[in-house]
Amino acid sequence: MKKINSITKIVGIAILTVVLLAVNSKAQDKKIVFEKETLSLKLNEETKISAKVVDADGNTTQDSLVFFSRNRRSLIVTPDGNVKAIQSGKFSIIARTLTADRADRISATLSVDVAYPPVKAVTFLNAPENFYNTTTISLETKVVDEAGVTRDNVDVKLSSSNPDVASIDAFGNLKAHKKGNFTITAKAENKSATWKFKVSDNPIASLDISHNYDGKTIRTGDVVTFEAVAKTNKGDAVEDAPIKYTYIAEPDDNLGQGASAQIAQSGKFVASDPGLFTIVATSGDKSTTTTIKAVPRNVQRPLTLVGKGIVSHTRTSDLWVWEGVDGRDYALTGTWGGNGEAIFWDVTDPSKITPIDTVVVDARTVNDVKVSEDGKVAVITREGASDRKNGIIILDVTNPRDVKIHSEYTQDLTGGVHNTFIYDNHVYAVNNGRKYDIINIEDPKNPKTVGVFELDTPSHSIHDVWIQDGIAYSSNWSDGIVAVDIGSNASADLPGAGGSPENPVQLGNYAYPSGWNHAAFPFKSESTGDFYVLGGDEAFPYGLNTEGANRAAGWIHFVKFDDWDSPAEVARYQVPEAGTHNYWVEGDILYVAMYNGGLRVVDISGELMGDLYDQGREIASFYPSDSEAYIPNATFTWGPQPYKGYIFLSDWNSGIWALKLGESTSQGTN
Amino acid sequence: MKNHKLFSILLSAILFFLLVPSTTFSQDYYVYVAAESEDEVHLIHLDGKTNKAEIAKTIQVGRYPTETDGPHGINISPDGEYWFLSIAHGNPYGMLAKYKTGTDELVATTDLGMFPASMEISKSTGLLYVVNFNLHGDMVPSTVSVVDPDYMEVITEIKTGIMPHGSRITDDGTKQYHVSMMTDELYEINTAGLDVNRTLSLKKNAMKMDGMKDHSDDSEEHKENHEKHMKDGTHEEHSKKENEMKEDHSGHDMDGMKKDGSMKMMHAKPEVKPTWADPHPTKPLVYVAGNGSDEIIEIDTEKWAVTRRFKSGKAPYNLEVSHDGKILVASYKGEGATGIFDLESGKEIAKVKNSRKVTHGVAISSDNRYAFLSVEGIGGEPGSVDIIDLKTNERIAVVETGKQAGGIVFWKQVAP
Repeated sequence: MKKINSITKIVGIAILTVVLLAVNSKAQDKKIVFEKETLSLKLNEETKISAKVVDADGNTTQDSLVFFSRNRRSLIVTPDGNVKAIQSGKFSIIARTLTADRADRISATLSVDVAYPPVKAVTFLNAPENFYNTTTISLETKVVDEAGVTRDNVDVKLSSSNPDVASIDAFGNLKAHKKGNFTITAKAENKSATWKFKVSDNPIASLDISHNYDGKTIRTGDVVTFEAVAKTNKGDAVEDAPIKYTYIAEPDDNLGQGASAQIAQSGKFVASDPGLFTIVATSGDKSTTTTIKAVPRNVQRPLTLVGKGIVSHTRTSDLWVWEGVDGRDYALTGTWGGNGEAIFWDVTDPSKITPIDTVVVDARTVNDVKVSEDGKVAVITREGASDRKNGIIILDVTNPRDVKIHSEYTQDLTGGVHNTFIYDNHVYAVNNGRKYDIINIEDPKNPKTVGVFELDTPSHSIHDVWIQDGIAYSSNWSDGIVAVDIGSNASADLPGAGGSPENPVQLGNYAYPSGWNHAAFPFKSESTGDFYVLGGDEAFPYGLNTEGANRAAGWIHFVKFDDWDSPAEVARYQVPEAGTHNYWVEGDILYVAMYNGGLRVVDISGELMGDLYDQGREIASFYPSDSEAYIPNATFTWGPQPYKGYIFLSDWNSGIWALKLGESTSQGTN
Repeated sequence: MKNHKLFSILLSAILFFLLVPSTTFSQDYYVYVAAESEDEVHLIHLDGKTNKAEIAKTIQVGRYPTETDGPHGINISPDGEYWFLSIAHGNPYGMLAKYKTGTDELVATTDLGMFPASMEISKSTGLLYVVNFNLHGDMVPSTVSVVDPDYMEVITEIKTGIMPHGSRITDDGTKQYHVSMMTDELYEINTAGLDVNRTLSLKKNAMKMDGMKDHSDDSEEHKENHEKHMKDGTHEEHSKKENEMKEDHSGHDMDGMKKDGSMKMMHAKPEVKPTWADPHPTKPLVYVAGNGSDEIIEIDTEKWAVTRRFKSGKAPYNLEVSHDGKILVASYKGEGATGIFDLESGKEIAKVKNSRKVTHGVAISSDNRYAFLSVEGIGGEPGSVDIIDLKTNERIAVVETGKQAGGIVFWKQVAP
């Protein structure tokens, strides 16, 4: 019987295959014909496209068609063929038949070319007052199109009217060859700009060079500012002499490694590796050199495990350590993907971290935990509540051994609160992935929403918020770091704008191309007084690894704010094999959790420039793991908090840890 | 023509020989279920001979290993080649993911709207219709995303009510039904026209709109008008006009107001809180779960009116009509139980206690023998798939899953 069944099936499948092939070939006999073979549009232009289905004989069939864009954020296409170009570039539109059977379905592609708006103007940005013979300057241009957008994808052709006097290359390097007049023309599309100028006698007779580390040891990572001064025969300074800096490196060993460094044309130099570095300053046909030696930074310090509180039944999320009203020290940790627990620990003796109470709420994840400055009120966030209301829970932690629930607050927070901050009797609750609500908790049993901050950019999103001196620094993925005045005070490093919890006012922002901004932390350098906001990434660009451990990426962006309008990203801390998560700065030391890369302690003293990891600024690292952990013997560090001379950290796989950073034992130069 | 007929007979005969033995002796049943707070999808296998069920495979899903991405809705293409999964959370939008059945490899993804949820592919258009539930968002009108499942591109967004849910399509593929939870409405979408055909208030005493009568009204005057429209072929046009008027009333753009706490748009509190709609396989009927009114609501789509209301257990959430159209199985989210209704009498013929609280989804096997219920559980408790034998109306197996078992779909029934 079984055999007959099998034969029947084989015969049947064979016949069905023939049938399907027949149907398929029928489908393939048809084709979609667009009214136009290609489509060219201007930016913001709208049009209507059409197409028809024809059979093998060229007869139009009755098949229904829909149109759609393969680039819907750039080219809007309605199903009936209305098209609007909202970005320039090359895109495609698909037309397909509406059929149930995939084999009977046909589609066709229409290429669309949305032209960039014509160039409106090209201008020179940095024409100098004097251009001395034999010198070279970098001439910069700016191209703006008819849409008012500054364009960097337009080919700007530069030419000199008199190359014997002054020649210019494709990169804007303008070199003076002899005294005389010349005109530089910059042409972009059919717009051009001209700069009439002359090469004058070169008064430079010599160059002197000095730096701000004279007599001091220069370590890798130290930013040395070189200043070259051009002088006349009489020794007068030529203030407007163009000076170029470069360096020659010689490693301090013969082990095949290069001595890398970075030098900016402002004269700022930083060595990543030890070695001899000869700095060359050039102006025209004059040059001068000076050699410095960079020694290993030698900031490494021992990092000792003091204690741990292993959580073996679920994952651990964020932590907060504080001094209780009784003078003892406590920690609060959240849990992730578990039973909605917030765990309280006595950490007065960090070598004996002891769980003292657990609050269980209706949630799967208590992602974030915060405690008020007076140590009386805590807020924990909820995600995955069974009633899907989520929100926050406000706790009375006056006695951390017997924590009471003040209130549950879910108004407008049902999307799940991911992160939060307590500041001046208000809770800032990041929720629904889009905004933070500002909740007054002066009466923690009766919280009330008094304000909301939400960006109005397309597809805006938010992850975290941190507050210092009345300014909220939120991290907003592709919108980057956003500073908002929610009641700035005199301690603030930069001026506020009269904001309040009821009236949050945006001050400034800084976004970067990756769109990975996951955390923001403001700090003022103790050693330089510079004000930075650190932008921390979270990224898993290698995708979800369904077979093993996941690999994160991303780094800490050091964004220097001299004012709200001109932030500049000056440095980064990037560990090649890991990615950043939460972090904290205290006393010119960065503590950063790097997931599988454990905890990294980083020296961020002095001026900052370039890649801090390469410069040997890492003081210590620690990889928490425990055989009794929820995920045994595996590191996935979530967040650190320096506290009373210890470093507390939470690890996603294992719980809470306390470490002590020891004094340097190195015999090095510092 | 003659050849065509012969060919059809031959094809039917072949299908008969192919399918009958399979159906008669089939004992292995497979369903996919999504564990929303675990970022996992499980393939559940039931051995129909022993009534033993187990997790045959677990597939990790989502984007971020350190965020709960929230797989919510799941469905399978009509040809069974692919399964589709809505991922609720993102930055800020959720997404649709396409997997190959059997190998369960990820094929492609596309971004959708806020908290995309239930979905189905139309047998007539081949397009996928997924509601953007916006479960956690502002109380504003949302959309149904229409996706080309081959290219995995969104074709269009159809504006709908507030917190739409329960996207199910008629067997002929021409109409998609879903409900607007916060406005107590049933929506009907023309799958080829890609627009809302009509809406129906599900309230018991639906408010009359100015200058119009609501189609939930079953008065004689309304019936006469309805018959007139049906006769003169203007029924859909008439309904559409009504819908436009309703949309004008409820579809205020509140974006400009939401930052001012004092200017929040106040909606009437929903009475019915409908959460699911499923059309009958052969009759012009749609069944809706009245999550807030503890009832199953039957809508006659020809009359476009509520025809019956069945008292149900507490907070029915999802439901499915059996493939023979005889029974309806509903999840009672509010009491951790499953209700089984005889559709002819409208009576609940059985209530089966679930293995834990928060019953979520329903899937019925293609032979109508078994109902598979996903049960979320609470907190750290595992979710489950509870399996009910629809011959005896008894629970025969429980398979523990990842946390918050939600979206569930029957895949196949095969001979061992």
